[in-house]
Amino acid sequence: MDKDEILFKPIYETGRGFYITFGILAVILLWALAMYINQVMVGLGPTGMNQPVTWGFYIVNFVFFIGISHAGTLISAILRLSKAEWRRPITRMAEVITAIVLVIGGLHPILDLGRPDRMMNLLESGRLQSPLLWDVTSITAYFTASTVYLYLPMIPDIARIRDRGGKLKWLYTFMAWGWQGTEYQQKVLNRAINILMVMVIPIAISVHTVISYIFSMTLQPGWHSTIFGPYFVVGAIFSGIAALMIVMMTFRKVYHLETYLKEIHFRYLSTLLLIMSLIWFYFTFSEYLTGVFGSEAHEMEVIKYKFSGPFAPFFWGMVLCNFVLPVTILSFRKFRTMTGIFVASVAVVIGMWLERLIIVVPSLASPRMDVPLGIYVPTILEWSLFAGGIAVFVMGFMLFSKFFPIISIWEIEEGRSHAAKEVEERIASYLPGP
Amino acid sequence: MEIRRREFLKIAAGMTGGALLGSHGLDPMFAVPKEVIERMKFGPRVETWKNTTCRLCPGGCGMSVRLIDDVPISVKGNPLNPVNRGGLCPLGLNAVHSLYHPDRVQGPLIRKGSPGSGSWEKTSWQEAFKVISGKLNQLRQEGKSQHVAFLGSDEYGFMRDHIQRFAASYGTPNYFLYSKDSNKRAANFLSHGNRRAPAYDIVNSKLVVTFGANILEEGPSPVYYTKLYSHHNEQQTRYIHIDSRLNLTAANADRWISIRPGTYGALALGVAYVLIREELYDQDFVRAHTHGFDDWMDARGRRHVGFKSTVLSDYYPERVQEFTGVPSSVILELGRELGNSRPSVALCDQAALNHTNGTLTATAVNALNALLGNYEKEGGVYFVDEPPFASFGAAPMDGRSAQAMTQPRVGMPVEAFLPLQECSVKSFSENVLSGRPYPIDVLFLYGGNPLFQSVHHKKFAQALQKIPMVISFDSLLTETGEFAHYVLPDHHFFEAWDIVSNVENVGFTHVAIQQPVMAPMYDTRATGDVLIELARLAEGRVAASFPYGSYDEGIRRALRGVFESGSGAIASEGVGSRWLEFLKQRGWRIDRYSSFEEFWDRLTRYAGWWNPIRSKKHLRSLFQTPSGKFEFYSQTLENMIQAIPTESRDKALRRAGISAGGDTAFLPHYEPVSGESDLPLSMITYQSMSVGDGRGATLPMMQELFGHAVNRHWDSWAEIHPLTAQQYLVKDGEWILVQSSEGTLRIRSKVTEGVMPNVVAIPFGLGHTSGGRYARGHGVNPHSILEGKEDGLSGREAIQATRVRVVAEGRSEF
Amino acid sequence: MPKWAMAIDLDKCTGCESCMIACKVENNVAIVDPEQAQAGRVMYWMDMMTAYESEDTQVVRRIVPKPCFHCDEPPCTVVCPVGATYRNPEGIVAQVYHRCIGCRYCMAACPYTAKVFNWYAPKWLEDSACRPNPDVSLRMSGVVEKCSFCSHRLQQIKEIADLEGRRIEDGEYVTACQENCPTDAIVFGDIEDKDSSVYKLSKSYRVKRYMDDLDVKPKVFYLSRRTTE
Repeated sequence: MDKDEILFKPIYETGRGFYITFGILAVILLWALAMYINQVMVGLGPTGMNQPVTWGFYIVNFVFFIGISHAGTLISAILRLSKAEWRRPITRMAEVITAIVLVIGGLHPILDLGRPDRMMNLLESGRLQSPLLWDVTSITAYFTASTVYLYLPMIPDIARIRDRGGKLKWLYTFMAWGWQGTEYQQKVLNRAINILMVMVIPIAISVHTVISYIFSMTLQPGWHSTIFGPYFVVGAIFSGIAALMIVMMTFRKVYHLETYLKEIHFRYLSTLLLIMSLIWFYFTFSEYLTGVFGSEAHEMEVIKYKFSGPFAPFFWGMVLCNFVLPVTILSFRKFRTMTGIFVASVAVVIGMWLERLIIVVPSLASPRMDVPLGIYVPTILEWSLFAGGIAVFVMGFMLFSKFFPIISIWEIEEGRSHAAKEVEERIASYLPGP
Repeated sequence: MEIRRREFLKIAAGMTGGALLGSHGLDPMFAVPKEVIERMKFGPRVETWKNTTCRLCPGGCGMSVRLIDDVPISVKGNPLNPVNRGGLCPLGLNAVHSLYHPDRVQGPLIRKGSPGSGSWEKTSWQEAFKVISGKLNQLRQEGKSQHVAFLGSDEYGFMRDHIQRFAASYGTPNYFLYSKDSNKRAANFLSHGNRRAPAYDIVNSKLVVTFGANILEEGPSPVYYTKLYSHHNEQQTRYIHIDSRLNLTAANADRWISIRPGTYGALALGVAYVLIREELYDQDFVRAHTHGFDDWMDARGRRHVGFKSTVLSDYYPERVQEFTGVPSSVILELGRELGNSRPSVALCDQAALNHTNGTLTATAVNALNALLGNYEKEGGVYFVDEPPFASFGAAPMDGRSAQAMTQPRVGMPVEAFLPLQECSVKSFSENVLSGRPYPIDVLFLYGGNPLFQSVHHKKFAQALQKIPMVISFDSLLTETGEFAHYVLPDHHFFEAWDIVSNVENVGFTHVAIQQPVMAPMYDTRATGDVLIELARLAEGRVAASFPYGSYDEGIRRALRGVFESGSGAIASEGVGSRWLEFLKQRGWRIDRYSSFEEFWDRLTRYAGWWNPIRSKKHLRSLFQTPSGKFEFYSQTLENMIQAIPTESRDKALRRAGISAGGDTAFLPHYEPVSGESDLPLSMITYQSMSVGDGRGATLPMMQELFGHAVNRHWDSWAEIHPLTAQQYLVKDGEWILVQSSEGTLRIRSKVTEGVMPNVVAIPFGLGHTSGGRYARGHGVNPHSILEGKEDGLSGREAIQATRVRVVAEGRSEF
Repeated sequence: MPKWAMAIDLDKCTGCESCMIACKVENNVAIVDPEQAQAGRVMYWMDMMTAYESEDTQVVRRIVPKPCFHCDEPPCTVVCPVGATYRNPEGIVAQVYHRCIGCRYCMAACPYTAKVFNWYAPKWLEDSACRPNPDVSLRMSGVVEKCSFCSHRLQQIKEIADLEGRRIEDGEYVTACQENCPTDAIVFGDIEDKDSSVYKLSKSYRVKRYMDDLDVKPKVFYLSRRTTE
């Protein structure tokens, strides 16, 4: 009996709950798919977008999902790079988030296209001067890097499953790539992971910076701002951590992984969340202070639209979710229970979604010319596709957990066997002495 | 979140999968006959242009139609037409859509169901002629030819004359016009002694004051005025607009003075007070050419109070402020500006006139022009000569028709009325319903849509149902046409001949040719020819009423007179008014046509003739009043009253809406708005250029444009001042109920400072129940809840005089 | 190379909305369903802006026609991922309907909200082969469109002028809105040509440009005596 047998369990045993959940999600997905097919046929008419609000949920969700995707690879890479030992049970899940959400997010601009049939024009006659093409480039790069970065550390675990025999042996054999765990193989693997983890950080940062460039490269009030690059990256990491914690808590509960995902992990992550919340607030504050202080007429109109206009509930809701709630919960030990952390994480995810909404819509809805204010009410189509996106996210995770261990087993083992000694040595090396 | 039912259905369609591609985006918007489509698709693509005249409003703008393979594609303004000079209004630019309208009547119809049920059956022209002429002959043989009536609109085509001829020789005095302008005509009759509308030389004027005259949107020819307005910078003309609402004319004026509805006359008299008190009026003109300014003594030695003393005693600015809500300082400014920046001119129309005291308001504004000595002066008021059409002589009448013509007219009140009145829908309906003085058996409807426009639409509908045979010539069914038993569809104006001459207020003599630019698309016939056919089929000498064989021949013959007069010029390139003036001064004529055929050829090519040179008229010959002068004190009115037996004189005055006693009754004065009600707000209605009198609502593009300025498309709205909105707890853009004593409208509010407090302004033109698929069921018709008030003097419906209250929907209490 | 520009004289313009319809008919701009129009999807290449303002004690209703401004440095063309909108050498900012992927980035980037989108397939005549105006192509669902300065007219005039071996004269190339304007408030022409009326107007003291500070160099400018705009 393996010590980490519980980690293999989901791969071999599937309960009824799984099928029911999966079925419900599949129905949602099919519904969304039907809606999308309808949209392809009739055009973007059934959405709530109009002139001047030419971008709606699709772009909001695009930015939001890509933001979530930062959870993973970036966090795991940073933790690996900084040799944070508590990372071991976290990295895999973080990386999976990236891979799945990136697919969902990356598809959103296609949902948004009026002529998806002409998508290939992006390759045929793409203009590299357009920020939208920068996006295409960087998202593809990020997707490639992060899937490889997810896959490489999985190889030893896949080999284990292969060795255990059972279902789909051919798949695991193929995917394990002949892994025998020899010293040479381990050396190569570690080397590859190290290279990738250094590479993936700038790519990840570039992705979200470039997404912010879609907005900040235009001359629109509320968008045209140099702070947008780092602001989006911070927001992305912020929402990413929150999403990661939600995922972790869910798996902890469903697959009974309390022994692996201990409270200490959540505490560390929640400290990170608290820090990000403060940084996010700092950026938001700077962004709006610059606008309000300059009080340029058009800028002020957009700000008024957010502060006291039709978007006031969303704006103040965002401040509540992204700053007030997480900071209050996470600053006090009393509230920093598992429930507290869960509430804070959910709040942050909602808040960050609101933030994306607040960035995209008001700048469009309060045009600078004397034309009527835009009103944007998302329709059932847009909600459906949003629900579809979330369904894909959950289904992706469920499927992943049915084929691969969601916690990196070999890394845990490595932690058990080498890490203590290594850390001891490392600490000794920090201290004065030889 | 809002899920619209329509979207839900689409989604449902998507869910069931399958054939949903066809259901979207491919609904045809306009129906075009197959052969036209063939020509559009496979023709050689030869582009031609043909000039004709727009008939979508009375304006008479020249338009050039672009044809590709003889299929009309689009229109533009005819730059050679002197009225519009290349400009066109949105409605005119959309003329092609009215040609291709899918709901045009494509052949003669007989109604099968109840009115408005839309169940019609096709018939043939022969069949229709047989039935109708049978009925006409029968009535004539029974000596009841006066039981036939014609109801038309006051447009300036040749048809008016044509119908008149038919009516006279068939023998019926009952040809009525459902007119918007009877107030103006009545007032001109009182002041000038004739009913003609003068033209206003606003280009050469330094100051133009428009009392409710929405000249840029609603005027008889908005494009003509817009063209004149565009010169206001070079000419340094100032515009002041007085209105309860900030309409397009007010928006473009240098100043907008907001005023309570129905009190424009008081303001005009307040301005007259300033002019008189500060001696800013034209004393020479007033002395020599007016009657009743100073106190005077009549032939019988009775003393009469003059205009001057009445105005000085009754219309001092503080009092006028009380009436009108215009601050006395503004009245002083207005009067001084009007008196000092000569030449200055005052106009009044629509909003000022369509009230219970409209005729008196118009006489007050006429009085202002007289005080300014504006008549026949540069920058003033002048009268345009009639075009020199060939005369066909009086329509021949036999004994029957001559006898019938002496019968009382059905459109007039039965007793105690002033002959100032023209036909009113109210009198017509009442008389038809009561069968006095005789019943109406056949009614022809040509143009106009009283059922939609009239205040008395309920009575009129009853009257229509009582008449055994109603015949409509609608090319696109109207609300009124739905009541017809027979529809004999007229051509679209792209397919037919007509002439439009001397459009009201246009400052020169002109004739615009409306000619076919294409062969008729459907089995329709020109109404003129239908009448000729009916005359031919009639017994007796009716056939002789038309000395021409067809309507277009009649037009040709009429225009021969223009050719023979040798005056004026065809509106062709290079002949501007200055050039014509120059030639005229040197005794030259533009007479370059060797024959009528050549003249005709050029005339039809350019589709317009005009004569900007007016015959100089002496001021003495200008006024046909009893005194031969401009009459402040209207002897015409006095004589009319005197002619009424003493016992019913008071009744007649009361009917006429004159409460002032003594001499004031015959002077321009302010009659307080009659029939005060306990409802707190005034409702005013107005027309936009795109939809006009409701005809534009049949076109989808106009429906879309209608409320563009307030961001409401295909829908009506009610404008309310923020203060009033606050008082009645109405928020911008929400559904409100506007309730009058006659009914309730459900409408979206528009809170705006562009309207006077305590006034609800609703645009007219939408809320159709007929008029094709694009007109039906969009917006509301404010005229449907108007109180049945009218101007007592002229009989014109008081469409601005209704009192209402408003409440946000969902709040039960008013 | 000529550079086409438009002057709109607001002191003349009455706001009659003729230009909107002239443009709509000329360029086959689609009519949308009533509920679509109310949802803010109404399509005008030439739009009309209305604003109520208080001036002294008076309420003023200001009406301004708004076509595409054909910026010399257009913010919309730089963001287009596929080159479906571009500024041609004569300064006309053009749309390539058949290349447009419908991402609406150009609409989001336009500071003047000059572009419109085909949310549904536009409806026209019964037979889709019928062209209301055969000179202008019909758009399909899901593409962005906007004022083209009636460039199809330029094509025709260019051909004639080339055949006759001469330059295009001032006033020869007119847009539909200009042609039908009842007040002659719209003047259109080559701003590089020092004799053209639009060039002369561009030197007027009344010239006003929207959002001059953005320096996108709009080629549509306004003339107005009013000090605030």
